[in-house]
Amino acid sequence: MTSPFEPHDVTWNSVSPRLVTARLVPGTISLGIPAVAGIALAVTVSPWFWILAGVPAVSLLWSFLLVPRQVRAIGYAERDDDLLIRKGVMFRSMVVVPYGRMQYVDVEAGPLDRRLGLAKVQLHTASVGTDAQIPGLPPDEAARLRDRLASRGEARLAGL
Amino acid sequence: MSTPEHEVDRGPAQGESAPDATEELEWRRVHPITPLVRGWAVVGAAVVILGQQTLDGGPRGGLITLVSSGYWWTLLVALGAIALVGWGYSALAWRMTSFAVGDETVHLRRGILFRQQRHARLDRLQSVDIRQPLVARFFGLCELTLETAGGTDSGVAIGFLKGSDADELRAELLARAAGLKVAGKRPAAAQAPSDAVTAHAPEGAPAADLAAVPDAEQPLPVASLEAPQVPVLTVPLGRLIASVVRSGAMITLLLWAAGVVVVMIVTGEWAVISASLPAVLGAGGYLFNRVTGEFDFRVAISPDGVRLRHGMLETRSQTIPPGRVQAVRLVQSVLWRDRDWWRVQLNVAGYGGESEEKNSVLLPVGTREEALTVLSLVLPDLGVDEPRRVLDAGLDGDSRHESSYVTAPRRTRILDPVAWRRNGFTVTGRALLMRRGRMVKILDVVPHERTQSLALSQGPWQRRLGVASFQVHSTEGPVHPEVPHLDAADAAQLMTEQARRARTARAAAGPERWMERQGE
Repeated sequence: MTSPFEPHDVTWNSVSPRLVTARLVPGTISLGIPAVAGIALAVTVSPWFWILAGVPAVSLLWSFLLVPRQVRAIGYAERDDDLLIRKGVMFRSMVVVPYGRMQYVDVEAGPLDRRLGLAKVQLHTASVGTDAQIPGLPPDEAARLRDRLASRGEARLAGL
Repeated sequence: MSTPEHEVDRGPAQGESAPDATEELEWRRVHPITPLVRGWAVVGAAVVILGQQTLDGGPRGGLITLVSSGYWWTLLVALGAIALVGWGYSALAWRMTSFAVGDETVHLRRGILFRQQRHARLDRLQSVDIRQPLVARFFGLCELTLETAGGTDSGVAIGFLKGSDADELRAELLARAAGLKVAGKRPAAAQAPSDAVTAHAPEGAPAADLAAVPDAEQPLPVASLEAPQVPVLTVPLGRLIASVVRSGAMITLLLWAAGVVVVMIVTGEWAVISASLPAVLGAGGYLFNRVTGEFDFRVAISPDGVRLRHGMLETRSQTIPPGRVQAVRLVQSVLWRDRDWWRVQLNVAGYGGESEEKNSVLLPVGTREEALTVLSLVLPDLGVDEPRRVLDAGLDGDSRHESSYVTAPRRTRILDPVAWRRNGFTVTGRALLMRRGRMVKILDVVPHERTQSLALSQGPWQRRLGVASFQVHSTEGPVHPEVPHLDAADAAQLMTEQARRARTARAAAGPERWMERQGE
């Protein structure tokens, strides 16, 4: 069975593996603190607190297993007239954004992203439904992509 | 730029040099009664707040005690003071508001403390609406809203204007946006020969001839700009009410009411009524708004596009120029089926957001013939030999009938047991048609050149069955075109080919200024 997410004439670029770290750090902090607190309470107060410790700990373990696969699943490809972005392991999706439909391009990097040398490129069309973002790009690549998208968009400029 | 105060103190007639130095703008003020009309909103809000306070007043009954005591006049004084503040503020705001129409842009200056200047490009104009709220109607005033595609609150609202002025301004804006040369109301224009070429061809002329009319060299007098309009249909009040009675919201409301009565009889608690009151009021308000908003709905066509006119308390007159419709949806709820009634909604860039419910209706309820007629007004050519057959198959056909639709495979009946036979799409020369839904039947039509982006998605169950859902992203609005559970190969092929078709169609699309021929 052919997968609709593998168009035959497309070579996919993957994003930086450092995105795994960038995604796991916030999760580890927000889930790790309740887990540690739960363990401490379970040891000191009552064994019932193992439940409190267990839920975040399992979620944390799950995210350690899932996030690397998710990051590997993110891909983008520049074709002559449009940009393809795909993502998802269980729930997969793929977006085609024609260059001529782009209204503007955002490049964003939070403090953690900057430290890890990552940036996110987001494309906006006139539709709010367009969910076209490429997270985890090295800044050089993000800048290159931004300029390229902007110039291609200009060359194929159309109204709405 | 000079200081804001200085700028405003110059009379509207003196003009100002625009960014484009050759163009001289004639600044105009809105109608002087505007503050009176706007000020009412403040008084209305005050009365509502006071009323709520009274209702929630609790044991002492606040206002009721006050009104029945000897100090009732203080209430009137307070309301008067609030009204004065409201009117005073509106008067200041009026003084600070002025607008001008240039060859390519509309300029609006407003704001008291935070001055705002907005320039809207006319070739980006998406629609021109004239709105007349109830209070404004007493004074014969209208507000004109010009939508551009910049997202929420990107439009230019010019108000209030005298009814005839608003019509004239609309005609001027549309003519300029259409690419006609318009002479201002300056003396030079007055010398234009009286037998100047009229802006538009006579009524009933085919659209192909209309495109050839403009004489780009000769400025046209404003008076001749109003495009002639041909009435297409009106929605009778009886049918509108019947359609609302048979709508999903009404059914929910009745079921809810029945449930409340049953619960009340069983438990004997009166409190059930007051607890369910907000939900009932909400649903009732929705139904009321639908009837008043879509009251006396008239559809007409003019060379400047589709004209819609509707409303009881607040009347709206919308003009949607050609090529501005991003997507159209024909929808039939389950109780409309025996009458074969359809509702037609559309996406227009700039119409999204809170006013979506009021703006984005092309036909509130109509027979199949009427629905297809209004569809043909906004999308005249579907690019197939037998459009009627393709549309009928889209409206109520399913995979048991022979048609050009590519349908979801039989194995998807687990995912969508009710409507799997309906899920499908077909491609015509000009548009993509997507149908789905069996209880509530939906047909979405997206012209190829209006496709923004495309998406495929696949969940774990869909992957096991080898199917995927296809989505077309359109601008904000009620239409979200998609086809669920297509065979993976069909979906992949549709994705690739639709991207290509959208590209070719955009390259061949008509000009933004609909009266200009391409290549001029």
